[in-house]
Amino acid sequence: MTKKFFLFLFIASSLVSIGYGQNSYIPYKTYDGEHKNEISGYVTVGNNVITDVFGGLSMSYQHHLTPRWHVGGDVQAQFVKQLFSVDIQGGYRLPVKYGNVYFDGKLLYNRYQKWGFNEYIANLSATWESAYVDLCIGESLIHYRTNRNSTSRSYGVTEPLTLTFGFGVNARHRSNPWNVGLFFRNYDDFYYENWNINWGIRWYARVRERWNLFGEFNIRPAGSMSQLATKYEGSVKLGLKYKM
Amino acid sequence: MKTKYILMVAWVALALTQVSCEKVSPQGVLMAGTAVEDRVKMSNQYYKDYLDEFNINMVLDDYTFLVGSDSHLTTDPGRMDEMFAIGLEGGDLLYTHLGDIADTKVEYYITLDSLVKQAKHKFVEKLYGINSKGYYYPIGDEEDAEDYEWTYDQIDFPFYPVVGNHDITHNGWALWSNIFHSSFYEFPVLVLTEEGELVIDRFIFLDTASGTLGRTQVDLIEDGVLDGSEGYTYRHTFVFGHTNIFRPSSLEFASTFSREETFFLLNQFEQWHASIVFCGHVHKWDERVYNNVTFLTLDSMSERNSPNPGDYLVRVHVKKDGTLQWERVHMNYVAKK
Repeated sequence: MTKKFFLFLFIASSLVSIGYGQNSYIPYKTYDGEHKNEISGYVTVGNNVITDVFGGLSMSYQHHLTPRWHVGGDVQAQFVKQLFSVDIQGGYRLPVKYGNVYFDGKLLYNRYQKWGFNEYIANLSATWESAYVDLCIGESLIHYRTNRNSTSRSYGVTEPLTLTFGFGVNARHRSNPWNVGLFFRNYDDFYYENWNINWGIRWYARVRERWNLFGEFNIRPAGSMSQLATKYEGSVKLGLKYKM
Repeated sequence: MKTKYILMVAWVALALTQVSCEKVSPQGVLMAGTAVEDRVKMSNQYYKDYLDEFNINMVLDDYTFLVGSDSHLTTDPGRMDEMFAIGLEGGDLLYTHLGDIADTKVEYYITLDSLVKQAKHKFVEKLYGINSKGYYYPIGDEEDAEDYEWTYDQIDFPFYPVVGNHDITHNGWALWSNIFHSSFYEFPVLVLTEEGELVIDRFIFLDTASGTLGRTQVDLIEDGVLDGSEGYTYRHTFVFGHTNIFRPSSLEFASTFSREETFFLLNQFEQWHASIVFCGHVHKWDERVYNNVTFLTLDSMSERNSPNPGDYLVRVHVKKDGTLQWERVHMNYVAKK
């Protein structure tokens, strides 16, 4: 069933993109030819099975080296979870007939202070982004180890092969100053799951020429994909992006 | 074009809510079915109300216990039957099962219920005698046989399962709980050492069928529900749950706990000073020691998933001096064609 489901998503998303050329397309991460730097921040508030209510702050910076190449970094602090994260990333944009394909790499460090674990993640992904639909597929190498116990048996655990997949759809053409859409993926800005998905609603709105508001309502069930999904986490993100 | 999107969304929604088969419930990909919160509340209440069912008598010697997983019983109860036979023949103190005991169909649970009742009958027949008043007494205590007034129903069959994800699909909790009642419980095994010291080995059973403990279970754990030693020292702690913590290999993509919950559990097992944590779910064998805790992930003992004879069970030997050994136990049953 799972294979058929993804096959359907792939075919359906391919079909609905046909007919939209590049001329009216304003991709999400593309350099606009004027503002080489983008800085953004968002607030997260949510409820989680393990920690109950939680909240945090995140900041991002992206620099367009050329119209094709970009680099950046992100940090976050979630106070109840006591989760602190930092990453660096970079990528290349390849224009294709119905949009762009982004090849991105990311190195992410998470410190789960509450439970005494450090997590190190390297991710490579390819994202095809069209006017209405985006699809991401990638691979994560995840390594984690406790930071509390230094015995010989507190070795780290490495998961060298973790599939990254994501699908998003927008209600309006991406060139519109505001948009709303749905997403379905097994990762978020600061985590990559083995198989569990998260899904929800995303939106953005251009409030001024350089300023964009954006947000997400994110449902993160436990036990999805092969079990009966149960509430694990729900969160809301609200952020602001500024182009310099 | 909008029509295409609407049709696509409608098709996905239909696929997720309507399509189903006997083993999986695709609507569960996105939406909750039987909630872990309700299962844990029910289980904890039952556990508190019927605590006697979870009592293990004092053990004066070495003891063993048997663990099996993912039997996915349908019409053929051969492997479950074999597990009970191996346990009875091996003299195990108790038998545990790590979930997905049967696929969720009423007929399969009727078969399972009969099987458990038959196993109890054989267990009582082997280990209990009947005194002149018609009451049962444990064989080996013939001197006091006439003092016993145990009825058949008062003898607890020492089979302790946890619930798995396939046990709760298609509203399977109603079927599972009708037989086994509780998915979240613990019990102590009291051991009198050679030095005459009373020590406790504790057995903790977690409801991880949904890939999360749920808030209620986390609260109960953090409130110390499973820490009530009444002043005694725990010697060993054995933890049983369905969902695997570690992936047996990089190619196993079965759903596991979310990142934070994985770290929460690893930390909790360390705080409990767990000796062995037993998991199933992924249908692949895995053994490892992490933070001084042994993690054993058992292969499926189902004759459909593992049609050939193999080492699908685990027997743990707990010595009087506290040393632990475990071995994999061979199963021979092959499904009839």
